[in-house]
Amino acid sequence: MIGGRARRRLLEAGQVVAILAFIAIMLVPILWIALAAFKRHVDVYQLKLVFTPTFENFARVFAEPYDLGTKLFNSTIVATVTVLIAIPIATAAAYAFSRFRLRGQTLLLVVILATQFVPAVVIVLPFFLMFRDLGLLDTLTGLVIVNLAIVMPFAVWMIKGFIDGIPVDTEEAALVDGSSRLQVIRNIVLPMAAPGLVTAGIFCFIIAWNEFLFALILTSREAVTLPIGLALFKAEEGDLWNLMAAAGIIIMVPMFVLALLIRRHFVQGMTMGAVR
Amino acid sequence: MASVSLRGVTKAWGAVKGVDDQSLEIADREFLVLLGPSGCGKTTTMRMIAGLEEPSAGDILIGERRVNDDLPKDRDIAMVFQNYGLYPHMTVRGNIAYPLKVRGTPTADIAPRVDAAAAQVELTALLDRKPKELSGGQRQRVALARAIVRTPKVFLMDEPLSNLDAKLRVSMRAELKNLSHRLQVTTVYVTHDQIEAMTLADRVAVMSEGRIVQLGSPERIYNDPETLFVASFIGSPAMNLVAGRIVDGVFSTTEGPLLTLPPSAPVRAHDQVVLGVRPEDIGVVAPGDGDIDATVFAVENTGDSVLTTIRLGAETLVARSDRYLKTVIDERIGLRCSPDHLYLFDGPGGKRLR
Amino acid sequence: MRDRTLKYLLVAPAVFVVGATAVWPLAESLRLSMHAGRLSRPDFPQGFVGAEQYAWAFLEQPAFWNSVGVTAAFTFVTVALTTLLALCFALLLARGGRFRSGVQSLLILPFAMSPALIGVSFRFMFNPEFGLFDAFLGRLIPGAADINWLADPTMAFWVVVIADVWGWIPFLTLVLIGGLASIPRETQEAAEIDGAPAWKVFRDVTLPQLLPVLAVVIILKAIFSLKTFDLVFMLTNGGPGDATQTLSHYVYFNGFKYAEFGYASAVAWLMVIPMMVLTYFYARFVFDRA
Repeated sequence: MIGGRARRRLLEAGQVVAILAFIAIMLVPILWIALAAFKRHVDVYQLKLVFTPTFENFARVFAEPYDLGTKLFNSTIVATVTVLIAIPIATAAAYAFSRFRLRGQTLLLVVILATQFVPAVVIVLPFFLMFRDLGLLDTLTGLVIVNLAIVMPFAVWMIKGFIDGIPVDTEEAALVDGSSRLQVIRNIVLPMAAPGLVTAGIFCFIIAWNEFLFALILTSREAVTLPIGLALFKAEEGDLWNLMAAAGIIIMVPMFVLALLIRRHFVQGMTMGAVR
Repeated sequence: MASVSLRGVTKAWGAVKGVDDQSLEIADREFLVLLGPSGCGKTTTMRMIAGLEEPSAGDILIGERRVNDDLPKDRDIAMVFQNYGLYPHMTVRGNIAYPLKVRGTPTADIAPRVDAAAAQVELTALLDRKPKELSGGQRQRVALARAIVRTPKVFLMDEPLSNLDAKLRVSMRAELKNLSHRLQVTTVYVTHDQIEAMTLADRVAVMSEGRIVQLGSPERIYNDPETLFVASFIGSPAMNLVAGRIVDGVFSTTEGPLLTLPPSAPVRAHDQVVLGVRPEDIGVVAPGDGDIDATVFAVENTGDSVLTTIRLGAETLVARSDRYLKTVIDERIGLRCSPDHLYLFDGPGGKRLR
Repeated sequence: MRDRTLKYLLVAPAVFVVGATAVWPLAESLRLSMHAGRLSRPDFPQGFVGAEQYAWAFLEQPAFWNSVGVTAAFTFVTVALTTLLALCFALLLARGGRFRSGVQSLLILPFAMSPALIGVSFRFMFNPEFGLFDAFLGRLIPGAADINWLADPTMAFWVVVIADVWGWIPFLTLVLIGGLASIPRETQEAAEIDGAPAWKVFRDVTLPQLLPVLAVVIILKAIFSLKTFDLVFMLTNGGPGDATQTLSHYVYFNGFKYAEFGYASAVAWLMVIPMMVLTYFYARFVFDRA
């Protein structure tokens, strides 16, 4: 029977090995794709690990006919505008939900929560028809509208969570001192909630950036976003994995950076407060 | 029932030493209190005895047996945690029974022992409740019952009373004292409350910054402190401490001569010194009749005594008198210090001068 | 302005946005489901047919039942696998210390990949000629290199499962780590001192306290599994044949490939029902903690 201390060391070493294996499984696919982006097609086909890297793929995806540059532009605009609209609206509502008691508040919050769980396919059809009649198909405006639908519940719940965490005392002191409610919101709550607003904004940006189904259905040529650009490579079966990998990197890397920025609040955001 | 020994025990995290090369012998059935402020190492020491932390160096023995490599479950100990550590999803009965159940005690034996332990802490009526339905004091008693249901070699208690309100703390102290007397089990008790230490301990180990500064009975700690730190930590209100120097047997502060030391004083001259005297050893008399004349700064009537505060330049002195003393703010009074109860400490080191 | 009026004004824009962009389309979708018609027909929608399209789905469309089966199997397997694996990894990583915290930070990275991207990546890696996994598995298991993963119905299903599990493990692991961290250490230490070996501490003390978080994790993953579209579209496009055609994909196919808007809406609305049930349970957890 191995002595207590030696046994503990052995267990610890075993755990470290398991963790490393887990991380390897998680990261190897990402690294492999990243590598493929720098390979010439021949190297991809031959499964080479050591190869001479090239930036040619990136140049090609930005050129015709793939025109990733336009798609990158579209994605950025759509995500940014969505966030710029969603955050102020969500903040106002979140503040009200947090500090006041409204009639039917629970119901409203549940409805907002529920819309996050509605499959996109259910509401994409009505949107398609409506956009067709309004001439909003294949427009960035249309995309912003549908992305608002997706991000709002996250935004409201995340920001509400942040505001809940700010003690009420400072606001009450200001109200007693003579501030109006709106002044309190502007001068006290917003500065204190700023980190939370930024986090929620980044979170919603990531969601809008990666949004797929709506962009697939509601765009065709002008307003195509990056993820759909990826799908366009797919049409040319088999030959262009290196290009697809390059496009994949362009999609992924900004999201990695943003995700790292908000990693501490990630769980809270995604579960909307069900888990702290 | 067993002795506990720490020999050269150190706990270090990198360069930071939580416990620094400490040795301590705790006799069988002794109630030893580890007393000190936050961060002094008292909890770390106890957790090492429990096996929840591994010492960086040194040996820990329970009943003459080196237990460094033993898991907590094999050390035959019981522990009461500061936040009780009750299992929230089990009933009180389940909580108390768990130590027996998990060690494979035959089912038939479990119920009577649980009932006996519950009766000892007066929980019999609450056996089917869940912890979240109980008050703080009741939860604490569940933690106690869970500890006593077996007969371990050592009890460990980590600030068990600190989450109770003041009144409850006082009554629980008496219950703990009685319980420990009846059970006769070696107990190591951690607290920052010096009253708990004074009232419960057979011996007190006063700790500061990872070291045991003084080890002794409560009476010795109180009446014969080794260092400035011990003197100021024990006693409420705290011992009066005045910095100054001694020349030719006269103690002076920056304000001037204050007190002539009695012949029994350990030194006649010392450059940087701190004079200590407890409030109950200072009497309030008419001006001129005592050692010091001063003006009353504050008067507090605590019901069972009167605390008179005077100011000497930057220093403050508090005198405790019986509750019939009548004095008012700004009154001129005299203070007489009992010559047998003056303490002198070396200024820079804090060690008691003898 | 009085608080009484202000609070409704503050909430109004958000309610409007949610109402217009989510609630209205839901209702409209329901209305569509009760009309038959094709997109290409000029007189679309065609006519009110009530619940006929729902009945049609149930009674006359084996493809519908195939999708139900695929979705059910997919959901069940992915929820079970992801939860189990995430729990193992969470237990490994929960202990703290620099190494483990660093690894936890890394867990964000796979999650920042959208399901569509994961779909493409796995299609790349399971390519029978130059796929990384194909080569890797081919070396491990004899004969595996001959399998054309995405052309075989059973294999394709499992590839989709693996891709989905791979994508969601990091997130679920992080959630469970948070859940484990919220369990008071004292309860676990008390059990250690009471005499329980590590596995009993887990079974008797840790797991019961983890159940609420586990429930949240399972419900959340079930909802996400039911919704899956992007991954399937990019990885197999429902194929081979309809072996991996989840309900979302089935709706997409009928709505936009066959232009059967009414029918697609009907099936889509059928999906809403289990969603609502799951949402109800999820909301309970959210509000219990609030």
